[in-house]
Amino acid sequence: MSTVTTPAPPADAARGSHGLRLDPRAKLFLLLEANLLLFFHVGTPTEAVLTALFIVPLLLAGRVRSAVRFAVVYAALLGLSLIETPTSGGWAWLAIVPMLAVGIRMLLPCLITGAYAFTTTSPGEFTAALRRIHAPEAVVIPCIVVIRFFPTLREDYRHIRDAMALRGIPSGGGSPLRHPAQSLEYIIVPLLMNANTVAQDLSVAALTKGLGNPGRHTSMADIRMTPLDWAYMALCAVPFALFLTGVWR
Amino acid sequence: MTVAYDDAAAARPAVQAHGVGFRYRGEPGLPDDDATQPPPALSDVTLGIADGEFVVLCGQSGCGKTTFTRLLNGLIPSFHTGDLTGACTVYGLECGQAAIEEYAALVGSVFQNPKTQYFNAFVADELAFPCENAGWEPARIRGRVDEVAQRFGIAHLLDRSIFRLSGGEKQRIAVASACMLRPRLLVLDEPTSNLDRRAMDDLAALLGDIKRMGVTIVVAEHRLAWCAGLADRYVLFESGRIVGDHTAARFAAIPEARREAMGLRTLDVAPFRRRVDALAARWPERADAAANARAADDAPPAPPRPVESATAPGPTTSGPTPADSADTVARLRGTPLPESPAAPPAGPHAVPEPPLTDDRTDDTPPLPRQPAGAGTAAPATPGALLSTRGLVVGHRPAGRRWFRRRCTPDTGGFSRPIPDLDLFPGEIVGVMGHNGAGKSTLVRTLVGLARPLAGDVLRRGAAARPRTLMRAGFLVMQDVNYQLFADSVRGELLLGTTGEDDERAAIRAVCDAVLRELDLTGLADRHPMSLSGGQKQRTAIASALVCGKELIVLDEPTSGLDRRHMVQVGMLLRRLAERGKAVLVVTHDEELAAAWCDRILDLDAVPGRPERTPGRTAGQTNPIRPRSPIRQGDSR
Repeated sequence: MSTVTTPAPPADAARGSHGLRLDPRAKLFLLLEANLLLFFHVGTPTEAVLTALFIVPLLLAGRVRSAVRFAVVYAALLGLSLIETPTSGGWAWLAIVPMLAVGIRMLLPCLITGAYAFTTTSPGEFTAALRRIHAPEAVVIPCIVVIRFFPTLREDYRHIRDAMALRGIPSGGGSPLRHPAQSLEYIIVPLLMNANTVAQDLSVAALTKGLGNPGRHTSMADIRMTPLDWAYMALCAVPFALFLTGVWR
Repeated sequence: MTVAYDDAAAARPAVQAHGVGFRYRGEPGLPDDDATQPPPALSDVTLGIADGEFVVLCGQSGCGKTTFTRLLNGLIPSFHTGDLTGACTVYGLECGQAAIEEYAALVGSVFQNPKTQYFNAFVADELAFPCENAGWEPARIRGRVDEVAQRFGIAHLLDRSIFRLSGGEKQRIAVASACMLRPRLLVLDEPTSNLDRRAMDDLAALLGDIKRMGVTIVVAEHRLAWCAGLADRYVLFESGRIVGDHTAARFAAIPEARREAMGLRTLDVAPFRRRVDALAARWPERADAAANARAADDAPPAPPRPVESATAPGPTTSGPTPADSADTVARLRGTPLPESPAAPPAGPHAVPEPPLTDDRTDDTPPLPRQPAGAGTAAPATPGALLSTRGLVVGHRPAGRRWFRRRCTPDTGGFSRPIPDLDLFPGEIVGVMGHNGAGKSTLVRTLVGLARPLAGDVLRRGAAARPRTLMRAGFLVMQDVNYQLFADSVRGELLLGTTGEDDERAAIRAVCDAVLRELDLTGLADRHPMSLSGGQKQRTAIASALVCGKELIVLDEPTSGLDRRHMVQVGMLLRRLAERGKAVLVVTHDEELAAAWCDRILDLDAVPGRPERTPGRTAGQTNPIRPRSPIRQGDSR
């Protein structure tokens, strides 16, 4: 299939450059903190305050729609999880609603910080950040490859679905559920086969461009921690620290 | 000569290979005896390449030319392991002694598949990649990225995701990235196998510039025409040996027929181009005489067509006569041409509109898509298997939805009106046009994989829904690997067929007949993934024949094929047509189109232009947003 090209969205670069821009390392810090929230099972007030703090950079980075979406979903789940349901009688099964709401709500901070980190950081900045925190190349390179592979997989998946449709093999949205074994065979196997050849080609391309160089590898993106980054990280660390020390629960 | 790189002694040869032999190591797990060893890929190759020379390595598939390029960029023996004998030096780097990283600074490499030869998702990152690996300082990298982007005319692409670029743009990025470290030698392995005519010309111009900078260039290639003006030398490989080493002048002097006998593709694509243009100019006229006569009687006098006179041969055209070009094309085809479109019947013949040969500079709104005389509700032509009426293909821009579907590679809208076309059983129709002209979307619509934006597709005169079209049509994808699901060729053909026992016997009989017809009988129990490209293609087609598909569409069936394999594909098309199938072939390959297509729809030449609307959510669809690292650097 030949590729259909679209004119580049020209506003992109300009849009990213105004407003609050955190350093990729600060973004990683937020992501890590969100995961720790889940791990330490923080109280609801702390979680709500931190979620609000996580949404702010998303808003300021110009991703208003997704910020509002996250805020609305979080508020709805928060409301649902605060409902007092009867503990006995015919309506006791309703308790499942707040339970689910709490479960999903607790995952949201991770999703928000994840979305922020990965939609507002170019792969170049991301690798620069990883190199700056002295991550070994054995970590950096797989990260680049993963970023490179997702669109390939998506495209492959589309081709395979098309091919299945042409052969009259059920390929609709629900088919992986209805025919799991068949879907595994017809989708996963060609995907892996193709991934294998792509991996070989990528290795060749990377090796001829000196990926295997034993010396120091640099990054074109010039990233720098500003006072703002430190301040925001500190701000986000405060409620969590208060919770951990038991001052505010 | 070496203006930009005068620091080294120009007299030193770039490449010196002496008695080189190479044998790829067999599959791991196989016993290491002589019986399972593959034949040597190279044997006793001795070749010197001077600094600044442009050398084309040619020969049939598997002749060793790709292996030789791997020797030049250090992939052999570091990545592709095997037994290497002899000596090969590339700018002082001894093959087998130097590490592959040492080659990276001296040799730039460009590979065949534009899709899989970039390591980063964004253009600027890909350009910076070699410099980052070499440990340059960030400011220096940014400067170099800017400089190369300017010189290669890709500055406007720096922010873009490489996934969204056309094949030609991708290949341009690949060349630019290979030139980042100012290599002394540029090695290209079949760089044009996925490119259209325009992209090939662009690549040729680009390599011309690089050659003028004094860089030595080695190209392994089947399609010889695009670099005919650039090459200094042609080296001919056969079964791993060099069997010919000609200067460009001597090579061009070899009679075309002898080059053909060597299995080479044409050096001069002009005769093929002329026939393609002539066929495309006659669209949608059919080849049979009755249609010709009718058209000649009914058609109003054609308006003067100055644009066409440049390409269409006539009695006044100097150079090769139409008869010559018909000869060349017929030789490729193996049989005489059914008629010579280069010498049309006297009088104006039916051409609905003056073709818009250059739609980029034309600012008029799209012309009505109907040929003269046809109304929007024109009935299907009798006998046509598939007809389109007022068809507009494309896809709508992705809307603002809460849960955006991310199945289309770009979410901008695209639409392309298609002139009414009729496909007849027993006919081979070619679809040509540059990348992005809407060829793929058109064929996807015709086989029911995409919904038309407007208009109808009629099957035997009745409006057909995509589901019906999907049952009637089959698309052989460019990458046929996606289409093979079973664990044997026979299983592939029987896949999805169900029925009672007596029916099964009948299906088996059909299956055996199809296997015989496509020369697959001996391979019936092989795993499809163990087959060669051409065999896979035939297996996919066989599966379509067993299902009784009426329309077979092939997408770029000859990309990366040498002459012999291209001829095989052409004959296969003919066989399918003779079997009563309607055959549609999407191709950039003018040699294939000229020799085997009965009619050609050139989307660049017919009225109607692709229209694009940027997606409203375009800024959001990119999972990782591109930002110009250069601008970013300036902002602080």
